[in-house]
Amino acid sequence: MAMNFSKIIIISSHLPILLTALYAAFSYKTLGHHLKVFSWFIFLSGVTQLMSLLFWFKSKNNMPILHFYTAAGFICLAWFYGTVLNNFINAKIIWSMAILFLLFTTINTLFIQNVFTFNSNALAVESIQIVILALFTFIFFLNNIVKESSKLDIKSLNWINSGLFIYYASVLLIVYFGATITQSFSKTLNRYTWMFHSFFSVVMYTCFFISLWKRSKTLTS
Amino acid sequence: METIKNADFINALLPLAIIIFIIAIGVVLLNQHFQKNLSLQKLEQKVLKSNYQNELLRSSIHVQEEERKRIAHDIHDELGAVLSIIRMHLLMLEQQSTGNAAHLLAGLQNVRQLSETVLASIRSISHQLMPPQLETFGLIKTLESVIEPINQPGNIYIRLTSLPGMPDLPWLTSLDLYRIIMELINNTIKHARASEVHIDITYTEPYIVCTYTDNGIGLPENAINKGLGHKSIEGRVSVLEGTLEWGNQKEAGGFYAIIQIPVGL
Repeated sequence: MAMNFSKIIIISSHLPILLTALYAAFSYKTLGHHLKVFSWFIFLSGVTQLMSLLFWFKSKNNMPILHFYTAAGFICLAWFYGTVLNNFINAKIIWSMAILFLLFTTINTLFIQNVFTFNSNALAVESIQIVILALFTFIFFLNNIVKESSKLDIKSLNWINSGLFIYYASVLLIVYFGATITQSFSKTLNRYTWMFHSFFSVVMYTCFFISLWKRSKTLTS
Repeated sequence: METIKNADFINALLPLAIIIFIIAIGVVLLNQHFQKNLSLQKLEQKVLKSNYQNELLRSSIHVQEEERKRIAHDIHDELGAVLSIIRMHLLMLEQQSTGNAAHLLAGLQNVRQLSETVLASIRSISHQLMPPQLETFGLIKTLESVIEPINQPGNIYIRLTSLPGMPDLPWLTSLDLYRIIMELINNTIKHARASEVHIDITYTEPYIVCTYTDNGIGLPENAINKGLGHKSIEGRVSVLEGTLEWGNQKEAGGFYAIIQIPVGL
């Protein structure tokens, strides 16, 4: 029973992703520059989640998709943060982070955690970087000069940043304790852990949906 | 109840502490970089604001001078011409009325004298509004022509020195310098109780330097930047992107001002 319930939760957790991706696709033309950039991350998530769900239904190993999604997702997020923090943070810093991460995840996939295993190392490093960027972006949005001089739709972008922070902070802990969880806990509890992961994923995509829904219609965010 | 078997807390917690430390360092470094960029942006904003204000002042002075020029021309050319014709007619009437009623002649002479006074006033007003020599003969000649009548009564003596080979200045630069010097002379005559003024104008590429000194009582304490005249001088120097240094002379006494204006010829 518990198995079925958690299965339903995990499957239904994909719905907000697809819903957000569809909404982003429909409203893409009316989005501001920053939200347009971020939409590409949502589209990427939508496609990869759909594919991984199909693989899961066909009982095929969907880990290669996760390896690809980790790298591509971070590039999208680096692009997003690069455009948001533009003029205040040197773009080279963020792109250097992205390139170094790309190198790391490639080495990790080729030599450490092969493409059919869970890439916890890459996920942990990605989460650390996103948490750093998200925490800094909270500070950035509080600054009065940023509020006055930039034409950012801060209200909307704050929802995205909050979603990313909540999800990647939780992923960091799950991945960090992942080894202990898989080794020391029963399969049931292991599934519960991924249920928590799904819950945080739902929270993140709900934040993204709110961000798109509440976007300013006048600002070119 | 499931328990963590053989959990080594030090092994588990130390890497977590390192991760949190890395996150904290990352945020702090990004924030420091941001604060540095922020101060640069603040500076840029200040420069932009100051440039904008200067531009605003420059255009306002330019508009004001153009308007003065137009009014001066209108007064001189239109009113002056009409009054000259009136005067000529009066002269003719005077000549024709010789031998007739003496009181008519006296009346005509009176009206003619009045029209001559009005003509002289119009000339003086139009010259004050826009010195006609400035465009044709340049700053030095214009100043000489203004100084000469001031020196005549003998109450004050203004000495103007300049080296030969002064370049032809742009009209607005000449006009602004003329207005600045006239404001300084005006202040000396009105408030300084000075008997001598020395104006020295030199050109050291790419600057034109005007040194103004008098032997008066100098400025009272905290008087600089208080009056409209001072503000007008500062505004004009700022518009010309020049520098202004002024105050009381320490040893000789009296007032001094050094104005340095870059000349983009």
